[in-house]
Amino acid sequence: MNEYDEKWEDKINALLDGELSADDADLLKAEAVDDRDLARAIVEAYQLQQAMDSVHVERAPASLTKRLHAIPRQQKPKFSLFQPRWVTALAAIPLVIIAVSLMRPDTPSASDIAQARQEMAIAFAYLDRAGVITGREIESTVGHTMANAVTGSVNRAIKSQNLTSKEKEV
Amino acid sequence: MSKKYRQWVKEYQDQAWTVARYILKDAQEAEDATQEAFVKLWNNQDSIDPERIKPWLMKVTRNGCLDRLRRRRDNVEFDESYMAGEVSGPMQDVVANETGVWLKRAIAGLKEPYRSLVVLRDVNQHSYEEVAGMLELNLAQVKTYLHRARKQLREQLAEVRP
Repeated sequence: MNEYDEKWEDKINALLDGELSADDADLLKAEAVDDRDLARAIVEAYQLQQAMDSVHVERAPASLTKRLHAIPRQQKPKFSLFQPRWVTALAAIPLVIIAVSLMRPDTPSASDIAQARQEMAIAFAYLDRAGVITGREIESTVGHTMANAVTGSVNRAIKSQNLTSKEKEV
Repeated sequence: MSKKYRQWVKEYQDQAWTVARYILKDAQEAEDATQEAFVKLWNNQDSIDPERIKPWLMKVTRNGCLDRLRRRRDNVEFDESYMAGEVSGPMQDVVANETGVWLKRAIAGLKEPYRSLVVLRDVNQHSYEEVAGMLELNLAQVKTYLHRARKQLREQLAEVRP
């Protein structure tokens, strides 16, 4: 690769793009006087630019234009139940219904209130009864434990006295 | 047919066709590829930014052509008749020009992405920014690759010129 490549390539391409400033053009020209490779590259760039002028966007053939105009007729209609936006909209409907029902203020009817009161009275009665039974069980359990504790200590005291008297006799 | 779509066909069919023609080097296949790109445009028109229709279409056209090349697996050869002057009609002007014929051949013979860069920038005259968007490259890459491509063309041209 020639020495000029890295240094001047941008400017040569700016030349091809028609975007080289007058100052840069002068600079390029001055440099090219002493640099034969750069001078040759500039000449080649001009030649390429001239050649590029003879190559243009090509006109599409009539057969292609006809095919392109036929596309809307051949494709599925724009409105389709299976198009993504409709699928999304359909999927969103249940979500909207749920959201609305959750947001609606809860106002119970008179019959709802009466039934709730009745259920509450039954529940309290059950709790009362359960409380009485539980109380008895607690009393029974505590009494039994206390009795065991007393008889146990008495028995231990009697056994101890018996042992002491036997030792004395021996 | 939507008025909008008709306008797109009018404005962009030549550029898309040119890209397809240079990459595929086969008129029938280039027509098919261009049609495929416009079918995609029709089917996706609601999701494309209206300001980005042209770069979107060029990108889709090019990608479709490259897919066809991969399937074909002979991306080195090209239609000699297209480049050698047997084309009639609107191409006659270019074909009559020897340098034009030579340059078309040389551009078509470049490897990717150099060929697409030269076609999009130097033939279709898209801006550097548009080309970068079409090829999914950054601006620096576009400039670097394009410089290389042009350098190849310059050197080839120097060889054929006295």
